[in-house]
Formats: sequence, structure tokens, C-alpha cells
Amino acid sequence: MRVVEVRGLKWRYRGSRAHVLKGVDLEVEKGELLAVTGPSGAGKTTLVLALTGVIPQRLPGEIEGEVRILGMSTLEVDVAEIARRVAVVFEDPEIQFVMSTVEDELALSLEARGLPREEIREKILWALELVGLGEEFLERQPHQLSGGEKQRVAIAAAVAREPELLILDEPTSDLDPQGKEEVVEAIESVRDSLDATVIMVEHEPELIERFADRLVVLDDGVVVMEGEPQEVYSRVEEAKRHAVYPPEDFEVAVQLGLKPPVRRELLELAVLNTPLDGLCSFPRSKGGEVVVSARDVWYTYPGGVEALRSVSLELRRGELAALMGPNGSGKTTLAKVLAGLLKPARGEVRVMGRPIAEFSRLELSSLVGYVYQNPQHQLFCQSVFEEVAFGLKLRGVRGEELERRVTEALRFFKLEELRDEHPFFLSKGEKRRLALASVYALRPELLIVDEPTTGQDRRFGEQLMEILRRLADSGKSVLVITHSVDLALKYADRLIAMNGGRVIADAHPLDVLSDPRIVREAKLKCPLKAELCAIAQRRRRAQP
Amino acid sequence: MPTLLEEFLGVRLGGSPYLRLHSVTRITVPFLLSLNVLFAKDLPSVAAICFLSFALLLLSGAPLRVVRGYLALIASVTIFIALAFMLFTKVPGEVLWELQLLRVQAEKGVWEWSIVVTDASLLRTLYFSLRILSMIFIATLFIATVGDRDMLWGLRRLGLPAGVTVGASLFFRGIGFFLSDFAVVKEAMEARGVDFERTSLAKRFMLYANALIPLLSLLVTRSFEISTALETRGISPGTRLSGSYHSAPLSRGDYIVLGAVGLVTLAFAGWFVCG
Repeated sequence: MRVVEVRGLKWRYRGSRAHVLKGVDLEVEKGELLAVTGPSGAGKTTLVLALTGVIPQRLPGEIEGEVRILGMSTLEVDVAEIARRVAVVFEDPEIQFVMSTVEDELALSLEARGLPREEIREKILWALELVGLGEEFLERQPHQLSGGEKQRVAIAAAVAREPELLILDEPTSDLDPQGKEEVVEAIESVRDSLDATVIMVEHEPELIERFADRLVVLDDGVVVMEGEPQEVYSRVEEAKRHAVYPPEDFEVAVQLGLKPPVRRELLELAVLNTPLDGLCSFPRSKGGEVVVSARDVWYTYPGGVEALRSVSLELRRGELAALMGPNGSGKTTLAKVLAGLLKPARGEVRVMGRPIAEFSRLELSSLVGYVYQNPQHQLFCQSVFEEVAFGLKLRGVRGEELERRVTEALRFFKLEELRDEHPFFLSKGEKRRLALASVYALRPELLIVDEPTTGQDRRFGEQLMEILRRLADSGKSVLVITHSVDLALKYADRLIAMNGGRVIADAHPLDVLSDPRIVREAKLKCPLKAELCAIAQRRRRAQP
Repeated sequence: MPTLLEEFLGVRLGGSPYLRLHSVTRITVPFLLSLNVLFAKDLPSVAAICFLSFALLLLSGAPLRVVRGYLALIASVTIFIALAFMLFTKVPGEVLWELQLLRVQAEKGVWEWSIVVTDASLLRTLYFSLRILSMIFIATLFIATVGDRDMLWGLRRLGLPAGVTVGASLFFRGIGFFLSDFAVVKEAMEARGVDFERTSLAKRFMLYANALIPLLSLLVTRSFEISTALETRGISPGTRLSGSYHSAPLSRGDYIVLGAVGLVTLAFAGWFVCG
């Protein structure tokens, strides 16, 4: 039985010049798990909204073609009626949490169906158990849950309605590795227990390979690749052109001229002394002058949560350090303490050898730049140009000098053509680049960037990390908070791992990621490349 | 569940018999008491309401330091009330003290402006001050014992559409979002070199106006995402939620408290209308 039928779907939002969907054809059979992937802005979320009937019923725009879900045409059947049989889990777990407790959240849509109290209770407990959360979570509030737990609540709220079609829109993109794993287990459990058809929009190739029966690549509003995940990923170059990066073992195999997927064979090769040509070259820093140092730093939030416990480290010129660890491990707090945005309860922070307290806000922000996780928080001017010029004007830069420095920053981040655009109308990726440009223009000695690649496709992540690497190579110091071990291994020359407010490892990414104890403790994962190169390294050391 | 006091000010109450009462009781009692403040026509009755509200506040286990924060406000309002009754009007009664500030002899007669303290002006000042104090006690009792969840389920039991009940929930969640967003935007400005403490008032005003841009942009984005998420869950503004899930019955204690406060209110209302 066909659950989803999309024929020649075109959609243009009102006020937008171009179509977001430019003729999508798609079919999904009952019981199938279809993964949809593609670059940011390809139209994936728009497709999800079209599958639920929100497009065209609730959003203004022009539609062509037809969408039939479980036999219902989204042009004819009301969204509320479709929602009785179709459930959606969106990307941001925070936004989806409408009520003030887990219990109320799950009860909300069940109550809308007019079910009796006992049945609601039964379904709530069943759904919670299915996603691995117990009865003790019923009274919990959103702020008492981790990102992974919130997303599991969202899945439970969807599953409690026992939908015939479950749509997951990037359910793991905002989560740390541990949160991702929790959600993955929840999806696995749901799939085993429910006879539902699942459509999952996802960037993570490992997740797609693990779950999906079929993969569809959407780029610029059209389906450009389709097939079994292994088949699609084996066309590595074609997939990469559409910002689809294959799982690591595919990539490594292609790099070594082998036929993917060959994880076990690759490990055997490494053990058997085969040269891993070009695979194990990683960036190394020469280690320049110390820009910022922290000694025995402690920080406690007003509520009593001890976020940093005796942290000591030095950040040098020419370094690109990745700061990693699970949510709540103290990464952002440490970054803010180093930027002087939070004052440590104990310990000392020095910038260019001077105590941080001796600097005025203006002086300090010229030396240490901080880019926020959500760029929307730091864009407050009327145009792209003004945004970059804001900090410079505060420092008295005017006239030609201002024009020159702003233009240089815009060019560096490929935003020149958007200089007169209002930041509000930029895409997510452009906003992120603008946020970076506005801080970069101040020429800080240390640039701290908080989770710049979260929710973006891999191509964007690679481009951004390349820019940061270039900055480090030009003599700046860069500290990036990230959850991506692959990007950290490829671009960083240092990995600082945190857990429970402490630094538990501080070394080259290869050394940290190939240490199983650290990987476990910092809730990271060891990329295949790190595993192979660590074996090769050990082998070399063992040779006389 | 945390009460509004805990959510907004971080003040957590220990367990008390009052807190164990049904949410309907905890919402209704302050409501009835506030009606009584309107009905109370003289000093003894308003003093009784004030005493009753204070006693309930103590019973609820709310820390008095919350009320202490309002003492300066009460004192300044009392001063204004006193000035209003003694400086700008002459309340008839036995004159206790009088001071002439100005005396103008004109063709058509004499115009005098004096401070006149009469027994009636003192009683009126006390009466209005006690009303304000009562209202502060009642408001504190309400926010210290009621949480947003109590109100939401109350609204649902009334059978109001989701547009109202879910909207109310989002309002409470929105306050948290707004406050944290504002703090981050302000911090982001500081990270670019803005020093709010050393900035002139006019410049600071402009910076806060600028801060509205990201706040509004976040508001728009979030509103869209939330409304989409709700639509896909089958909840539209007109959806009726039964409220049956949280419909625990009232206990004997609830009936006693509601009955007692209800009787007091009836008595005050009767006296207000007929007395």
C-alpha cells in the first residue's frame, strides 16, 4: 500500500521570488523508512510541511502538483484531520515543548481527541517507556531535561497518538553525541514496536545508513539522487556535489582506493602494516605566544550549579582548539569566562599576560571575540554593512578606514553581495557567517566560536572550519565549541575535552579521540579515521 | 510543581497544609479575598481582611522577605495618600494639627492653603494604606501558591478553546524565552565592546531599541515554529480540550476553606450592597 504520493510538487512562498520545491515526485510504501537528505535550504522542511498539509492550507504561497497522504489529498482534507494519522517531530526540541511538564505535553494532543482519562494515562506511560523514559519523568519541566530527553519527549508525544506515518525533521541535529545516541535508540525502539511508515529528514550519514530502507537526496527543490543508502553513498563524488557526505568508512575506503563499505577490512589493513597513504595527515600548530590563560578557574551559577571546577589552560597564537564534551559539561561557561563575559568565582584569567579585570569592556572585546551559537542573538543592526561596522564604530573607526575594514571582513566571509541586505532576511548559514564577520572585523587575537556547525549541512561545516583554520594559520588563536568529532579531527590541532566542569583531556585530536577512556568519559565517539591512524601510529612506534 | 513565585523570583516554598489544597481552592481564595477588599467600606473591615490575608500568607509558608521588598512601596504610597488628604483637601473632622502655608488677601476674599490633620484624614489614610497592604498580601499569596500549570488546567476545565489555554501556556513559557533572549542579546552587545554602565542614557536607550531587532526576529521565528508544531499535532486555536485528565476531586479541607472564605465574601457583599 502506498502511504505517500507526491506528484510534480512545486511550491513558492508568498513574497518569495523563487520556488522552494521545483517539481518533487516521491512515493513511500507502507512500513518503509525513507531518509531525506540534502544541503541546507534544499527544501527538506518545506517538503515536510507539504506532507502534513500545513502547506498549502496554513501558509500562503503558490502550489502546483499534488500530495496524497494515506489516500488523503492535502488540498482537500483539513490539517487537523491529517494530523490524526500523521505525526511530526521537528528539529528544535525546545520550541516543540508547549506545556510546562512532560505529562501535560504528552496529554495535550491525546486530550484534543477527547480520550478518557485512563486511556490518556495508559498511552502516556506506554509512549514514555517506548522512548526509554520512565514514570519519574512525568512531573519534569523542560529546563530539567537534557536536549536528548526533550527530543525523546517530542517523539513520545508523537508516538502516543499511534500515527500511521511518523515524520522526523532532523531530530538529532541540535544534540550532543550522547543526546543523538538517546534519540537514535528511541527511534529504533519505535520502529521495532510500531508498524508505522517513517520519513526521516537527516544529515547524519551513519544514522541514515543504520536505519533507512531508501535514501532520497533533495537539492534546490528537486530529487537529485534516490536509492538504497549504500548505493547512493557509493557515488561519493556525486553525493558530495549535493552536500551529502557519505559515512566515514565509505570516504576512507574511496580515499584508499578500496571498494566501500569496508570498515573491518580497513582496520585489518591498518593492523597489517599497510601504508595509509595521505589518510593520517592532520593539522599541527607550532605553538606561538600565549594569548589567554586560565589558572584554577571555578565558576558557580546563581542557582548553585558548579559549572567550572579548577580549570587551567593556555590558548596560543596559531592554534585551532576544539572544545568538546556533553551538554552541561561547562564548555560555554569556560568560553564565556575566557571572553570576560562571566567572572570566575575563584582563579585567574589573563589576556596577553595581564589580568582580565584590568581591561575595559572595549579593550577586552578587541582582543577576545565571541560568536554566539544562535547568530540571531547577535545581529541587531539594520544592514549587513552596519552589523560589521557596529563594533568598529564603537572604537572610533570612521570614513575610508571603516569602509575598507568592513569590506575586507565581508569579502573574507563571502558576504559582499549582501552588504545592504537586512540581517533578518539572510539564510541561517549567511547569518552565521555575518555573526563571524562582525567579530572578525575587530581583529581579535582569540576568536571563540560557539557551535557554529550545529543544524547545518556538512558542506557548510567544512567551509566554516576551513575559514577558521585559515585564521589560525594566519597567527590568530581560535577556540571552537563543537560536537562534530570528524570536523575536530580534520581541522583542529588541539582538542580540549570537558566533563562535569573539568578539563579531562587536552592534547592533539588524534590522541584524545583514540583514547577509549576519554571518549567514553567525554561522551564523544571515535571516528574510524582516528582509529586507523592510532593503530598506524602505535605500529610505527613499535617498530625498531 | 513550581509556583509563579519560584519561576519568576526563584523563591521556593516548603510544604504547608495550604499548598496541599486543590488548585481550584488556591486560585479561588485570593480571588474572593480581593473582592472583599473592594467590598470593605470602613477601617475595621479592611483591617480584618488585611489580617485574614496575612494569616493565610503565613499559613501558606511564603517567606515574609518577599513582602518586605514591598515595604518601601507601601511607605511611599502611604505618604502620598496622607499628603493628598492633608495638603490638598480638608477632610472634615476634629482638627488635630494645622499649619498655614499661604494666605492671599484678594478683593473678593481670602484664599488660604494649609496642612490640616484631622482625625478623619488619619483614618482615611490608614484605610487606604491597609487596602493596598491587603492587596499586596493577596497578590503574594496568589503567586506564592499558584503555578502556571494550575491556571492552565483551570482554564481547560472551563472548556475554553486551545487558542486560550495553549496561548496562556505559551505566554508563561514566552516570558522565560524573552528574558533569557534579552540577557543573551545584551551580553552579545557587551562581547562587541558595549559597556552599558559607562554609556549615556540616550545611547543606552538606542542600544535597547536595537536589541528589539533580534528579539522580534526570534519572536517571529519561534511563533512560526510553535504554531506549525501545534497544527501538525492537530491543535488549532478552535480545538476544545476537555481538561478531563487533571480532574482530581476537591478534598474536605478544600470545602471547609472555600466555604469559610465564601461565607466571609457573601457577608461583605451583603453589607456592601445593603449596609
